[in-house]
Amino acid sequence: MKLKNLLLTASTISFALFFLFVSCQNDDNAIVQRTWQLVWEDDFNGNPGQSPDASKWIYDIGVGPGNDGWGNSELQYYTDQPGNVSLDGSGNLAITARSESFGGRGFTSARIKTQGQFDQAYGRFEARMKMPWGPGIWPAFWMLGSNINEVSWPQCGEIDIMEYRGQQPNLIYGTLHGPGYSGGASITKGYGFENDRFDKDFHLFAVEWGVDYIDFFVDETLYQRLTPDDVPGEWVYDQPFFMILNIAVGGNYVGFPTPQTPFPQTMLVDYVKVYKEAN
Amino acid sequence: MKNRSLKFITFTLLVFVTLFTVVSCKRDLDDLEPATFPTTAEVFIDGFSAGLNYGAFGGSKVTAFDVDSEEKYKGTASMKFAVPDAGDPQGAYAGGAYFTSVGRDLSGYDALTFWAKASKAATIDVVGFGNDFGESRFQTVLRDVKVNTNWQKFIIPIPDASKLTQERGMFFYSEGPESGLGYTFWIDEVTFENLGTLAHPRAAILDGQDQEFLVETGQTLNIGGTKAIFNLPTGVDQSVDAAPSYFTFSSSNPSVASVSSTGAVSIVDAGSAVITAKLGDQDAAGSMTVGSTGQAVGPQAPAPTPTVDADSVISMFCNAYNNVPIDTWNTGWQFSTAELLDIQIAGDDVKRYRMLNFVGIEFASQTINASAMTHFHLDIWTPDATALPAAFKVLLVDFGANGVFDGGDDSSHELSFSSPLLQTGQWVGIDVPLSNFTGLVNKGHLAQLVLSGDLPNVYVDNVYFYKSGSVVTTGPTVAAPVPTRNPADVISIFSDAYTNAAGTDFNPNWGQATVVSQVPVAGNNTLLYSGLNYQGTQLGSNLDVSSMTHLHLDVWTNNSSALSVFLISPGPIETPSVLTVPTSGWASVDIPLSSFSPVDLANIIQFKFDGNGDIYLDNIYFYKPGSGGGTTPTTAAPTPTFNAANVISIFSDAYTNVAGSDLNPNWGQATIVTQEPIAGNNTLVYTGLNYQGLQLGSNQNVSGMTNLHLDFWTANATALKVFLISPGPIETPYTLTVPTSGWSSVDIPLTAFAPVDLTNVIQFKFEGDGKIYLDNILFHN
Repeated sequence: MKLKNLLLTASTISFALFFLFVSCQNDDNAIVQRTWQLVWEDDFNGNPGQSPDASKWIYDIGVGPGNDGWGNSELQYYTDQPGNVSLDGSGNLAITARSESFGGRGFTSARIKTQGQFDQAYGRFEARMKMPWGPGIWPAFWMLGSNINEVSWPQCGEIDIMEYRGQQPNLIYGTLHGPGYSGGASITKGYGFENDRFDKDFHLFAVEWGVDYIDFFVDETLYQRLTPDDVPGEWVYDQPFFMILNIAVGGNYVGFPTPQTPFPQTMLVDYVKVYKEAN
Repeated sequence: MKNRSLKFITFTLLVFVTLFTVVSCKRDLDDLEPATFPTTAEVFIDGFSAGLNYGAFGGSKVTAFDVDSEEKYKGTASMKFAVPDAGDPQGAYAGGAYFTSVGRDLSGYDALTFWAKASKAATIDVVGFGNDFGESRFQTVLRDVKVNTNWQKFIIPIPDASKLTQERGMFFYSEGPESGLGYTFWIDEVTFENLGTLAHPRAAILDGQDQEFLVETGQTLNIGGTKAIFNLPTGVDQSVDAAPSYFTFSSSNPSVASVSSTGAVSIVDAGSAVITAKLGDQDAAGSMTVGSTGQAVGPQAPAPTPTVDADSVISMFCNAYNNVPIDTWNTGWQFSTAELLDIQIAGDDVKRYRMLNFVGIEFASQTINASAMTHFHLDIWTPDATALPAAFKVLLVDFGANGVFDGGDDSSHELSFSSPLLQTGQWVGIDVPLSNFTGLVNKGHLAQLVLSGDLPNVYVDNVYFYKSGSVVTTGPTVAAPVPTRNPADVISIFSDAYTNAAGTDFNPNWGQATVVSQVPVAGNNTLLYSGLNYQGTQLGSNLDVSSMTHLHLDVWTNNSSALSVFLISPGPIETPSVLTVPTSGWASVDIPLSSFSPVDLANIIQFKFDGNGDIYLDNIYFYKPGSGGGTTPTTAAPTPTFNAANVISIFSDAYTNVAGSDLNPNWGQATIVTQEPIAGNNTLVYTGLNYQGLQLGSNQNVSGMTNLHLDFWTANATALKVFLISPGPIETPYTLTVPTSGWSSVDIPLTAFAPVDLTNVIQFKFEGDGKIYLDNILFHN
């Protein structure tokens, strides 16, 4: 999620690979049957306008510690206001990006995380979500290493379970950032629909993470497996990670919103669940 | 496998035939499979798809379209469109439609897509589908398509594909020159697709606005601004114009407003209703709220047909004449709320204005030269209250010699009309001399007529200029004689000369056929019964006329053979008095009230006329003999006793008068001048005075005199002034007290006439009203 200047090229290549994968049924990525045991969840049940469970989620507020749009020149100001993040009363969390002046920025949105509340190494991390849309809209479901404050980024590692650009509503990306392969050099792959979009209905985005592998899923489809052999630097995915949900507006990865971008834009999250592998 | 399939088909066919035979005698329409239409998606890939035809739009350059094998996005050919330059004699734009004669089933697709490029960056006005050169029920339009020199893909979402089961309109376009210049654009790979990547369908009527309309029964409004909006695979919204037939309209109150499948809203009764729509299962944004006032209140009969000879008329709007061209009867000027409806009443065209605060009527492209005309006329009818101070205003604007607005030579004047000329629920003729428009300096380039005032609902007919003296003699050309009775002795019902009893309804609905109107005759408001059978008049309140002796009325008719007037008291008790018809000019009738016995004179509630023909009536009033002896002095003015040596006499039997005086010089006055003997004494009489001059036979040096003496008598004047005039003219008025109680004698100090040159007095002038008797006009010392 951080610095991704060169990502466009990388993703184009991986997108092409993905189609190749779909067509030839690579046996290396065959799904291994596992038994998962639920250890953490938020199904976002509650009254409309209610803030998310404070025992599970905390907020990132503002424009980032470096005052630089969270390292990506993002345009929004993150708030903890119900207008930007609250339950919708129908069992979903709604994160809403708005076109409104606040804190010196032209947009508001929200970013919540489980840092300090919950983290885990290995297991299955999944969220059922319906995407927003429009040029310059950049929602994500992602994870950072819990040791980020000691070793900093990218040494802590970053697992992007789902990223999406509002101008390409039929595509999502799964990505790893680590030491020697962050930002534009990250390891990424796209998954796309030919005749559908991620903003028309809910879809399940997940990673299954074990020792020396991370599998990326959309719904029932495994579209990417990454192992230490796939990364050009250190494999740092052997310690607890915490989860993040957000919508960014603008930024290096997605480009500027345009006058045609419809606002407000809401990402709905039906649930987030974390499992560990049962013995 | 093959064998088995064949067998199966044969078997099912046999069964089907058997079944069909059995049930054919009572075939139900519901059992029939609907006819199926081809689902061909391709419109133009490298050439016309099966069954595709092309037709150019009317007025377009028909050769604008061609198939181009040089420039193409894919394959072997594209469609090329050569947009003409502005002024191309072969056509002003490029436009046409591609259609099939057999419909296609497009219900399995969600968009029409194509690729396009152009010889330069340009904006194509319109592309779309659903134009079948017929009803085009499901026309879908993408506007302002920005193309450039690169091939780009465009998507026209189908608003609701389930409607397109036999669509014939495959593609159409229309584009004019850009900044006057033609150019070329190409379109290729035109095909229907099922993209699956269109999302978030929305719909709108009235461009998504909630609009309110004030309407009335019988009106029809069309719901426009019908749009479908989809999010494209690029994440941006695209709006297309979707024909109303895609939508399902509904009315919250069909007993007030019904709505057709094409969005035509018909107002059927008073009340309110909200029209909303759905596109598929999407509620459309926007709504039409109608507030209906019900059936409009308007005239049941047309305005009286004008009688002015056509040769003497410049008509703007009248079925009786040829009308000059008028640019518009509603300019829609800023802040004007007026709505114009062209209606017919018994076959007569009428302009109807609603919500009239002011309305501009413009004829600037062909201005009217009314220099030779003397009068302006229009008839109006209003259901609105006309009691004072309600006014209706008429403004005429002349653009001057340059014939255009402004330029320093424009002139205009506005006249205001009010009760009693204005009447509610009756045609009222506004007939005014153009000279009354005093600020209208020029009449050679009239370009605007502006109607305004306090009447929001006005029906207008018979708008024309005319030259007076050319009235066909179906009506009186002169006003009824002005009454001379002292107002104190009169209870007036209808007269410009008196204050009339308030609240009279001159056209109560008693089932009569008579058409009642009020028309100006030589500037005097006159009651006209056209086609009389019978006609009532309802007094505003019961009148006690027991102190009166006579009923007076002036009547004019040249085609009536029977006419009676009735007085009515409660009961009803009514008694007729037969009037002599036809008349020879105005007939003044004074009927003793005793002849109406047994009507209760202390409680008169109504009048009635019956008879036939067209009757003009005026000065309907009750009176009693004047306290000063009636309307005529019964005694002569007192004979003056000044020494003749100290007198210069102008008009007196007692002295030798200045020779050669003209007692009735033509100064354009309306006054009628006569001399009458009163008790044997010759008296000067001014009847219907407006103003009146008196030209002395020779210039008089009256500087040796001290006073002007005159005797005057009037029962009904409300104002009277006398002027002395010396060359210049220098004139000074002196106000006389009227009405008089018997003869008044005044001796006016000549100093009161300063600065008139007393050594050189040439004329007298009197101004005022009523009937004036004068005698012994002389200077003395």
